Amino acid sequence: MTRQEEIQTLIRSLRQAVPEVSGVMVASADGLPMVHDFPEGEAARIAAMAATSLGLGKRIATTLRLGEFQETVIRGQNGYFVVYEAGEKGVLALALPTGANLGLVHLEAREAARHLKDLL
Amino acid sequence: MEPLKVLVAGPVGAGKTALAKSLLGEEALTTEAKASEDLGKETTTVALDFGTLAVGPYRVHLFGVPGQERFDFMWDVLAEGALGLLFLVAGDRPHHLPEARRMLDYFLSRHPVPYLVGVTRLDLGRAWTPGEVALYLRLPEERVMGLDARKREEAFRALARLVELATGGE
Ligand SMILES: Nc1nc2c(ncn2[C@@H]2O[C@H](COP(=O)(O)OP(=O)(O)OP(=O)(O)O)[C@@H](O)[C@H]2O)c(=O)[nH]1
Ligand SMILES: [Mg+2]
Repeated sequence: MTRQEEIQTLIRSLRQAVPEVSGVMVASADGLPMVHDFPEGEAARIAAMAATSLGLGKRIATTLRLGEFQETVIRGQNGYFVVYEAGEKGVLALALPTGANLGLVHLEAREAARHLKDLL
Repeated sequence: MEPLKVLVAGPVGAGKTALAKSLLGEEALTTEAKASEDLGKETTTVALDFGTLAVGPYRVHLFGVPGQERFDFMWDVLAEGALGLLFLVAGDRPHHLPEARRMLDYFLSRHPVPYLVGVTRLDLGRAWTPGEVALYLRLPEERVMGLDARKREEAFRALARLVELATGGE
């Protein structure tokens, strides 16, 4: 399997574990899309925003001495955008509808992020 | 006295983060990520650079933008309320000048504030001089100066000059 395929497999199993996910983005830490299932026209922007959100989140966590960064959660009236770190080179971001079980999402996504770290 | 917000902008690798670090040292708040493309450097800014310092009687709040265009959604966020623009260009990368021109127009059309253009990396091979950059960007020569962003005194001199422009030299 190529790395691309391995990441795709990982995304599929994440989607199986968390069926309500409406979009998955795997991007480089500097904001370039790698593997995702967002509409093509939105991908570049979402990857860049995920990287910005991760960079800022990590910065806030260290500045406020919150300990190791876990995730950034953006919550809007219609849903969530959650950003995880995948090693120092990658970022994993999920779009979710309102009412998603964030506890479960975090468990599954952190696991996926750990795998991604080794793949990237 | 009200803090004076200064925006630091310019293309990738111009030295915005280097400038923030030389001016602010350990206090510089930066957001670097490993560059996955060849940028001629290891890391790139993904959100902002930030820090505060005194320039004469003024408390300057310095906000640096990410230079890569895919992060342009941060530009307006960071430019909001800025009273001066320090715009950096790498003298040894003249091929970035067309983009620099567009970026400078973007900032000045949306946020018409006093500005100063700093030309960095003049010690490197075949760098364009501040005069040549001024000519290319069609700017008055007195608005363009050379500096090494890694050197505190040079970075400070550029910032102080911008502060002077932004405060009417009072
Ligand atoms: N030789 C030399 N190097 C310089 C000078 N000014 C800045 N640099 C170097 O040029 C590079 C500039 O990189 P950054 O400060 O990350 O550039 P940036 O503008 O923040 O770039 P992005 O955040 O990626 O948009 C650094 O490696 C600096 O050390 C200079 O006058 N001479
Ligand atoms: Mg930078």
